[in-house]
Amino acid sequence: MTDIPTTGAPQAAPVPAADPATSPTGHPATHPAARPATGPATGLGTAVTASRDCPACGTANPAASSFCEECGADLVVAPRASAVVSGLPHAATPTGAATAPTDPDGAVLTSATPQTAPAGEESPLDVGWTGAVPSAAVVPADDEPTCQACGQGRIVDGYCDQCGTPPPNPRDHLVESPTTWVGGVCDIGRRHARNEDAMSLSASDGPGSRAVLVVCDGVSMATDSHIASLAAAQAARAALDQPFPKGAGTPDAWAAGAGRALTGAVTRANEAVAAAVEDVPNPPSCTLAAAVVEDDVIVAGNVGDSRVYWLPDAADEPATQLGRDDSFAQEQMAAGIPRLEAETGPHAHSITRWLGRDAPEDLTPHLTTMRATPGWLMVCSDGLWNYCSEAEDLRSLLHDASARLDDVTPTTVAQALVDFANEQGGRDNITVALARLAGRGSSTTTEATASAAPVEGDPTDG
Amino acid sequence: MADFTAEVFQNEFLPDGGTDVHAIVRVTSTGASAATASAGLSDPGSAAEVILIDTSGSMGRRGVQAAGDAAKAALAEIVDGTLFSIVSGNGTAQIVYPYSHQGALVPMSAHTRGEANRAIEGLRANGGTAMGTWLTLARQIFETVPYVTKRHAILLTDGVNEGETQASLQAAVASCVGAYQCDCRGVGDQWRVDEVRGIASALLGTVDLIPAPEEMAAEFEAMMRASMSRGIANSELRVWVPQGAELLFVKQVSPTLEDLTSRRTVVNPLTGAYPTGAWSDESRDYHVAVRLPARTLGQEQLAARVQFSLGGDPVAQALVKAKWSNDDSLTTRIDPAVAAYTGQAELATVIQEGLAAKAAGQDDVATAKLGRAVQLADSTGNDEMTTRLKKVVEIDDADTGTVRLKKGASKMDEMSLDTASTKTSRVRR
Repeated sequence: MTDIPTTGAPQAAPVPAADPATSPTGHPATHPAARPATGPATGLGTAVTASRDCPACGTANPAASSFCEECGADLVVAPRASAVVSGLPHAATPTGAATAPTDPDGAVLTSATPQTAPAGEESPLDVGWTGAVPSAAVVPADDEPTCQACGQGRIVDGYCDQCGTPPPNPRDHLVESPTTWVGGVCDIGRRHARNEDAMSLSASDGPGSRAVLVVCDGVSMATDSHIASLAAAQAARAALDQPFPKGAGTPDAWAAGAGRALTGAVTRANEAVAAAVEDVPNPPSCTLAAAVVEDDVIVAGNVGDSRVYWLPDAADEPATQLGRDDSFAQEQMAAGIPRLEAETGPHAHSITRWLGRDAPEDLTPHLTTMRATPGWLMVCSDGLWNYCSEAEDLRSLLHDASARLDDVTPTTVAQALVDFANEQGGRDNITVALARLAGRGSSTTTEATASAAPVEGDPTDG
Repeated sequence: MADFTAEVFQNEFLPDGGTDVHAIVRVTSTGASAATASAGLSDPGSAAEVILIDTSGSMGRRGVQAAGDAAKAALAEIVDGTLFSIVSGNGTAQIVYPYSHQGALVPMSAHTRGEANRAIEGLRANGGTAMGTWLTLARQIFETVPYVTKRHAILLTDGVNEGETQASLQAAVASCVGAYQCDCRGVGDQWRVDEVRGIASALLGTVDLIPAPEEMAAEFEAMMRASMSRGIANSELRVWVPQGAELLFVKQVSPTLEDLTSRRTVVNPLTGAYPTGAWSDESRDYHVAVRLPARTLGQEQLAARVQFSLGGDPVAQALVKAKWSNDDSLTTRIDPAVAAYTGQAELATVIQEGLAAKAAGQDDVATAKLGRAVQLADSTGNDEMTTRLKKVVEIDDADTGTVRLKKGASKMDEMSLDTASTKTSRVRR
């Protein structure tokens, strides 16, 4: 499937850009109709004729031909697409009747009589119609998608019949923008064959009102950890979508309830992983990092080495990692070895706790609760922090990246950070989820600063 | 109706910068022989057989007598209704049966079989050997029945093709490619394996040695029975590779080694077809090698689509894939089937080159090549080939391939090793 939500930001797509001008082909230019999304709107009305002209070599073939007798090029896709396009200008009459080729296959077979939408359901595009507009109607049917890599072939048996490239796996690059103040990007990176990171986000519309950000990183030493990470992320997010108990209504009571909810979500996620995977000797496993925002108060927790960062706008307020890694590197740092050395050492990426069938008994996350000031809440996998670990450095990186963006949204900033990690080598899968918090407490200038400092409450180590 | 399956054996993982993808594609047919059997009597005109018998002077009275008995044994196997013809060859070729007024081919029946047997009795040894003329006559016979798709010939010879130039034989063979299939058998030790192998290979047939004339009948019977069991004709292997890729080679690697690369006909710019002849219920393995422009790590590509097609319609296909990975544990593994057949192909090459060097008097080259053959056969547990090699060389150390050429090794043993070199042992999955 190709319905990846797109953003304005440049994408680190794992496949070469679908620019036909750069495709390695000695063939003459493809018939414009073969690329309906980019082809001109005019001059395509001749495709449905008694003979089928080959879009590749120009040979005239009998009308019933599926493939060119001269070069073997596919003759079905091009006329199909152009047939639909060519029907559109007919509908652009002053009466404003809209085309509604609801069934692309039907539209192909009966392209001579374009269907019109029922009165009152005309497309607003029909007003002042100037030509064909790329739409779902001109996208070839599901069974015959065109190749995104070379723009020439059809996908047959899961691969392009011209260049052999499979359609991109939607999991290789996922963008989520549940609302204006929450967004994230999950990317395969440049070196891995599979994206074993998973991300699950939810948010309500009111900025700072409620959001759940979950990032899981499949453990690459185990097989099929992409299944584990996705199951864990979705289960944790579903659990955290439930409102926290209000309790006595005090901040402490809220923090206690939120902490229990987060711990419970980790348990649900662990159960989901166990249910999703086979019982094998080296079972799929993953990390989990989650943050929940409720009325500008943050609760964060993690198991493994995926991280939650708080990156406040105010320079005098420190940027911090909320919680800490369950990793060999973290243990070394605790023993006094400098962060850079520990995180680049031989076993830096060995984690000491994880979710999965062979998970350790104690899965209580490293919990932190804090009240937000204006700033960015980030949940990310090591694919990002491998290249920028210190919270202060990450804040600078984020601010620099934002400054270069025309349109600063959580999603565009997350994409910019993913791009950064890919530019550094993209050695691992990269996931960046962000929530932009205005810090309602601070905006009313009363109680904010007092409670802004993170309060780490970690039952596991007292 | 025949069913075909195709399965692929490969390691799809390539290292960073890796370009070459090797895969073994196994095509298996079931119900192919039933296509004939279920019809009971062969539909007249659905198949044609021509038997080419060497009647050169060197065959002698005894040889021709045995060849005649062999031809009779073959006739007994031909299913009633099948068109057939018997040709005797020396410096020229003549149709022995059917008689001239009956045309070039007649349907098999009890009557025609009896007439043919009597005609064979009249064969006499005389003259030279010009196999090109025999093959050309066979082609002309088959051309009288253009509607017959399953065309098969058996060629028997006992000597070197001295009655015509090498170029003339090559031209005759070339003119017969695609016209019919031809299994070739050499009797005695006076024929040249490479010469006859060239004919059999080009005409999609087998080559083998018949040590003594008395063994001809059994061999002919078996060959004809195999041919009769083949119910599927006009099959081909189609190989698609992506734009920008180079198809390095296509080889049949089982049951025999046959390099098909040069037999490509163009289906479309990305797809070539390779003829695979007639099929019975059997399984054949093909080694396909493709060179791709390296992609970045993590990317995947279809490296080849291998289809088995009948009359132009694909009936089975296998996908050969490429995935670039930085995981050495994945990329360094060589698929066992690819490794085994690569080894067997090298074994065949060094045996043939070794024997050729020995025949040319280059004993040091022959010793090195056959030593390598011993080493390969030993390391892959190919006991049959080791046994054959032992008749030609004295093995000092199989591990290192240290051998001495055997004094007084018989010509027949060398020829037997040569003809056996292209027979491969099936790689189990």
